[in-house]
Amino acid sequence: MDGSDSADTRESAPAPPDLEASDALADVVDADTGEGELERTIGLVGGLAIGVGTMIGAGIFVFPGLAAENAGPAASLSFAIGAVVALLVALPASELATAMPRSGGGYFFISRGLGTGPGAIVGLGLWLGLVFASAFYLVGLGSYAGQVFLEAGIALPIDPAVPLGVAFGVGLTALSLFGTENTAALQNAIVIVLLVILTLFLSYGSLDALGVFGAESTPERFFPPGGALPVLQTAALVFTSYLGFAQVATVAGDIKEPSRNLPLAMVGSVILVGVFYVVTIFVATSAFGSARLGQFGETAMVEVARSFIGFPGALAIVVAGLLATFSSANASILSASRAVYAVSRDGIIPEAASRLNLAYGTPHVALGIAGGPIVVLAATGQVELLAEVASFLHLVMYGLICVALIQLRRERPDWYTPSFRCPAGFTVAAVGGLASFALIAFMQPASIGIGAAIMVAAYGWYRYYATDVELKGDF
Amino acid sequence: MTETPTDDDGAQPEIDDGRGEIDEADRADRPSVLVPLEVLEGESIPNGTPELLANARVVLLGYHTIPDQTATEQAREQFGETAMSKLDEFAEQLVAAGADVQTRLVFTHDEETTIDRLSYEHDCLAVLVPNSTEGVESVLVALRGTVGVGRNTRLVAGLFADADVAVTLYHILGGDESPADGESFLNGVKADLVERGVEPDRIETTIEAEDVPIDAIASRAESHDAVVMGETDPSVTTFVFGMPSEQVAERFLGPVLVVQRQRPEE
Repeated sequence: MDGSDSADTRESAPAPPDLEASDALADVVDADTGEGELERTIGLVGGLAIGVGTMIGAGIFVFPGLAAENAGPAASLSFAIGAVVALLVALPASELATAMPRSGGGYFFISRGLGTGPGAIVGLGLWLGLVFASAFYLVGLGSYAGQVFLEAGIALPIDPAVPLGVAFGVGLTALSLFGTENTAALQNAIVIVLLVILTLFLSYGSLDALGVFGAESTPERFFPPGGALPVLQTAALVFTSYLGFAQVATVAGDIKEPSRNLPLAMVGSVILVGVFYVVTIFVATSAFGSARLGQFGETAMVEVARSFIGFPGALAIVVAGLLATFSSANASILSASRAVYAVSRDGIIPEAASRLNLAYGTPHVALGIAGGPIVVLAATGQVELLAEVASFLHLVMYGLICVALIQLRRERPDWYTPSFRCPAGFTVAAVGGLASFALIAFMQPASIGIGAAIMVAAYGWYRYYATDVELKGDF
Repeated sequence: MTETPTDDDGAQPEIDDGRGEIDEADRADRPSVLVPLEVLEGESIPNGTPELLANARVVLLGYHTIPDQTATEQAREQFGETAMSKLDEFAEQLVAAGADVQTRLVFTHDEETTIDRLSYEHDCLAVLVPNSTEGVESVLVALRGTVGVGRNTRLVAGLFADADVAVTLYHILGGDESPADGESFLNGVKADLVERGVEPDRIETTIEAEDVPIDAIASRAESHDAVVMGETDPSVTTFVFGMPSEQVAERFLGPVLVVQRQRPEE
């Protein structure tokens, strides 16, 4: 770095784009412009932890039962399809993120690359997409908390998943209002504990399924009766398990050496969780028949673990499930409030929404705007609907990220100097974009309806409130 | 033992005799000290600090620590101006006392990272733990061993050679060290200080054998106005109890100059 004073930093900042000056862009953003500079504090491990921590909760601890019920053992194929789509988007998103290492992620790329209209749809859509995702994770968290009562042998008159999820929603929102200082360190620790538990469990499970510990389990017919259609429908449902990599981009402003760490964290976390998901389904469907798994519902993995290792296994998975869904829910609530900040900074919604509270340093209005609807949605308890609407809104964003990449590569504006270039950029972006939009078509009509209504409302809001905001190419 | 380790300075040539001439050379040789202040939390320049650092090249770091869930950009947008104007006010106080001052304002999620980065960027000899003091008449310099001791002497001589300040060199004997070893070590340091312009009769040396260095330094410090001591490698102990320099600062309640280790060349 340079040891010069702030004035010099400012002058020398717009360095040539390539080679060693790869983080010149990041330096411009962080440099002092008379109001102070910004410290980047999240390294590669932290970035991976955000991605993995946000994603792993859903794919392993909520979906296996539901997915297996719909698609049988081929549900692992559904997860693989999701991973491929996510990767096809993560690569273009990485290129855009290194060109625009700013907080706001997908919204920032699209509003700068395609203009305010698409930006508003994605920005407001991202906020609500994260609201739906958080509500979904909260119901998952509630299911695991309810499982604790079951394991302890306490009979409850009602299914506690929804009430507990709502309670956690209120608690987490309040917690984030009062500035939990070490959330990053906590997140890292949780992710490491989770990966250790899962690796042990899945290794044992895989060996068992392959017949090492006794009789090989009779494999079910791989494809479900409906053929490929249920597999694709399930891929659309479980795509919620891959939303987390975009969260890495929403904290792009905090990532050290973004040109190196952003692509690694995004692509790396998708590959890592993708492998875990596919193996999880393989293990789960080899332990029980698909129909049986479906009956177990959200906490199917607890029963799978119990069948292998008995009560200790069940307990380990309950603990892991609590941690995973907790960290996913928490990360999504925080991301939702960052999404609110991003759109309000640009004047798409009133600026008041991003005010910080000086005493706690937290955006109390944004957290309220995020936390309120999350709690309401969690109260509905509609796991599959919540997941699909969240996926819908994210997939729209992912598709547009790909469009933005193609657009920017064609236009080549002066400021567009990414230090990471997506290999075979046009092809990857075209396929990624098409795949994202195509996946939407396999969702339930209700989810598509709600998602489309939200997009229309977001566009309507833009026409009403923000037509005079010009964001394209605005840095 | 008596020779002075002159490890640490590739960057600045040492211009010892330049003191007679006017500022230029003198100022280039001034020891740089990082002064971190959490500006928006109401921290300001404590009493006595301008006097203590009158001969220093001060890097005044205003920082604001933001919880992880808030974007640093967001905080800068809202608080940047206020913080900057406060920081400029503080800088003026230091300049008025005679120091050269550079200001940096940083919004961060982790103050340690920021302090570390800036002390490295500006090649700071020491970081100040800002506590107040009434006037600066005597300074306790706690020395652990020969490694990097040149940075201590440069700092002490740079800050206090021209001021009327009594310097007490303090060394706690290690397990296999004899009092004679300790004495010759401190005499070497003293000779170095004298060479750098500190009057010999203002330097005192004290050697002790103590079990708990932190307690010893903290209680010694009570009869002084400021403490100069070194950094410690992070370990389980420092993780549990905090850095020794922090512990001393907490008990002593006066300003502590924590001498930074030489950074590896990149």
